[in-house]
Amino acid sequence: MTLPGWTREPLVHFLVAGAALYIALTWGGTPVDPASRVIDVGAEEQAQIALTFERTMGRAPTDAELDAAIDRYVRDEVLYREALRLGLDQGDAVVRQRMVSKMDMSAGLAAEAADPDEATLRAYFDANASRYSGGSVVTFEQAFFESQLAARSARASGAVSGEAISLPASLIDVPEREVQSRFGEQFSRELAALQPDDGWQGPVQSGFGWHLVKLKDRTALPGDFEAVRDRVQNDWRTDEMAARKARAFEILRSAYRVEIDR
Amino acid sequence: MRKSWIAFATGSVLALAACNSEPEATPEQAGNGEDTIELAEFPDRPYWGDTHLHTDNSVDAFGFGVRLGPEDALRFARGETVTATTGSEAKLSRPLDFLVIADHSDALGATRRLYDAPRWYVDWVINDPTVLRWYDMMHESPEQSTLAIAELITAAADGTVPEALADPEKAQEGTEDIWTTHLGLIDRYNEPGVFTALGGFEWTAMPDGNNLHRVVMFRDGSARTLEVLPFPGINSTVEQLWDYMDAYRTATGGEVLAIPHNSNLSNGLMFEMTLADGSPMTAEYAARRAANEPVVEVTQIKGDSETHPFLSPNDEMAGFGVKGWELGNLPLTHRATPDMYAGSYVRSALLRGLSLEAQLGVNPYAFGMVGSTDSHTALATGDEDNFYGKHTGNEPSYKDRANHSQNLGTREGRFGWHYLAGGYAAAWARGNTRAEIFDAFKRREVYATTGPRMTVRVFGGFDFTAQDWDGDWVRAGYTRGVPMGGELQESGNAPSFLISALKDPDGANLDRVQVVKGWLDASGEAQERVYDVVWSDMDSRARSGGSVPAVGDTVNREDATYTNTIGAAELRTTWIDPDYTPGSSAFYYVRVLEIPTPRWTLFDAVRFGITLSEDAMADAVAQERAYTSPIWLKTKPAG
Repeated sequence: MTLPGWTREPLVHFLVAGAALYIALTWGGTPVDPASRVIDVGAEEQAQIALTFERTMGRAPTDAELDAAIDRYVRDEVLYREALRLGLDQGDAVVRQRMVSKMDMSAGLAAEAADPDEATLRAYFDANASRYSGGSVVTFEQAFFESQLAARSARASGAVSGEAISLPASLIDVPEREVQSRFGEQFSRELAALQPDDGWQGPVQSGFGWHLVKLKDRTALPGDFEAVRDRVQNDWRTDEMAARKARAFEILRSAYRVEIDR
Repeated sequence: MRKSWIAFATGSVLALAACNSEPEATPEQAGNGEDTIELAEFPDRPYWGDTHLHTDNSVDAFGFGVRLGPEDALRFARGETVTATTGSEAKLSRPLDFLVIADHSDALGATRRLYDAPRWYVDWVINDPTVLRWYDMMHESPEQSTLAIAELITAAADGTVPEALADPEKAQEGTEDIWTTHLGLIDRYNEPGVFTALGGFEWTAMPDGNNLHRVVMFRDGSARTLEVLPFPGINSTVEQLWDYMDAYRTATGGEVLAIPHNSNLSNGLMFEMTLADGSPMTAEYAARRAANEPVVEVTQIKGDSETHPFLSPNDEMAGFGVKGWELGNLPLTHRATPDMYAGSYVRSALLRGLSLEAQLGVNPYAFGMVGSTDSHTALATGDEDNFYGKHTGNEPSYKDRANHSQNLGTREGRFGWHYLAGGYAAAWARGNTRAEIFDAFKRREVYATTGPRMTVRVFGGFDFTAQDWDGDWVRAGYTRGVPMGGELQESGNAPSFLISALKDPDGANLDRVQVVKGWLDASGEAQERVYDVVWSDMDSRARSGGSVPAVGDTVNREDATYTNTIGAAELRTTWIDPDYTPGSSAFYYVRVLEIPTPRWTLFDAVRFGITLSEDAMADAVAQERAYTSPIWLKTKPAG
């Protein structure tokens, strides 16, 4: 099924839904008027009640069950309207919060089920290149010293052998996130500031002590769209839901004039 | 009229959206990860994970208030920022490498469905006064909702869950939907080499309130796991769970294992010397248990199950995370008595395993150890300074949560401060894929920590010497010995061990490394002993009266800080069992202790300006730790 492009526009979805709600509430909506004392359980309402029953029980209701369900519906409706008449919906934090979140959720719904096309995802990928750049891989040797002084004098003397520790002396093409996982945050940050060089650099501090580092190579990995396609899609969906909620809110908000006493 | 119009309006939005197909994972993501990435020759680093996380699909978690689902849980574990249910932005300081979302298989998604149902439906169709009362409580306030779930847990423990909620047909329908969606989702987040999302669920059997829970974890992706549904725990036995696991293996060619947890709340039933009905343990049961349950979860938010001071009176470091939890079973419907402890704690279970093996030829309790969170917030937080609570009702926005009674509102005796911040599982693997992580669990090359990420390595053999450290000792370890989780066959010589513990690079220094040995003596009695094998500043901290002096305490109680001016960055040693006796079977596991650091309660006190109760304050500083899987010394070829 092919639809014109505008039908995929979230704003259109929102407007369609909003219009339908508006129509429903203004024209079709006598039942929500708390002032009305007429409860009309027409064919449509009955079908809805039967359908709800069927969805939950997995079968159609018997006549007796339907009658009982209708009685229950009428009872709820009476109590609901009386509650509205008494203003019980006002000042109830639970009711308020629930309506707020229902409204908010409805704007994000479409994005939750959507599968964006290739172009959308690629555009998102490009716009967030730094998130998906495969990061860098680094190749380096490190020599460990318990004290900064020992590290400095080893570097000055040129004889760098380091002290014993259960860390790899040489790492080849390891992703930066692995460097952080194994050497800690501070080391990883300081290593990122070094440029590749044939000689020993540092000392660089880690949670373990001090390290002289021979940074042989750093290669930035290009982002590979295919490799991270699912991540892009997951991220797009999360962002898109937030954006739709925000846009929907903006539209509603623009109709209000808010005065805040300062 | 109104309802149908709204249905139409919502429907039109969905119809437009549904013109496209559901997103799909690549075959690499959807499989078990074999042949997807280049693997190291030997396991070269520990991968960090949580195998026990609940989301809003868990019947209790939703009732406790969590509104974050599996996708939020996956994003959070990967290191992204999510908004916690109570509104604050949450992020891990370091991402995890793997995650098992283990929602309760019983009534999967049921509280969410109940909550979302119209009241007339609950009142009339479900037509159960208890369910209606819970429904109203859930809608009334977070506190009432938590109480409702506490009642539900007690009902589950007592076997009095209302028929309407326990209806298997209805439950299955809901479960199918959620399971299908869930497996598709975790495939999409599973990224070989970067992040592993494993399929799983929690089997929540609780006869009489005694905790026999297991996390079930699959090796495979949705192509296989869609063939089964999560196996219900209520009214089923562990033998039936193993039948289910066998059936899964036969039907799909896949692999699955189960991880018992919270044995500390089982009132002695988790590790019994007999079968559940009191009849003698059989070799068949022992073999099935060993095959299906290679690993236990020894530490998590609801306490630590390594050992109890009553069982290990000579272990001065015993008793971590025991307070409160030792009182009885999960809902505290039955108090524990000391005679139950041996069946509730892991070290005594390992000892029982040796005894049972001597009788039966098979050791039912030859398991490795991991830690996890058991968080019900969808947030796998294990760090003391970033603890999001056991469940949404004690997320940090409840500022005095440490002082609150936290026995789910029903009984006396457990308080917020009894919760630990949770643990993590470390798996020695050759790469980060489902197959590699799962296989590490299967061969028990895993260890537990109470949260910090220290790197702990152990090799056992017969000819290791101090000189091995000068060369490629990891290769030596793998070629001349076995790693943690392995078995040594008796050679007539004392076993020797290469033990290395490296501090968490972003955490506290190490106090000491200990070997915990359990063995059967000449008369067949099980014995245990804890050896301090290497510690910081050994010159100035000489053993006195048989024990190593305390490392000290740098924690400032006023601002919840500590300094690494005491302790060591790394501790390693070659250790030869000085008390080896030929002909006695034994196990050896390593316990690593950090220097004292603030617990989450002290961070809370400082951040929120709370005055902790006297008891909580006395427990606000602790020595976090790691437990490795044991290495077993076997006296005859494995049965």
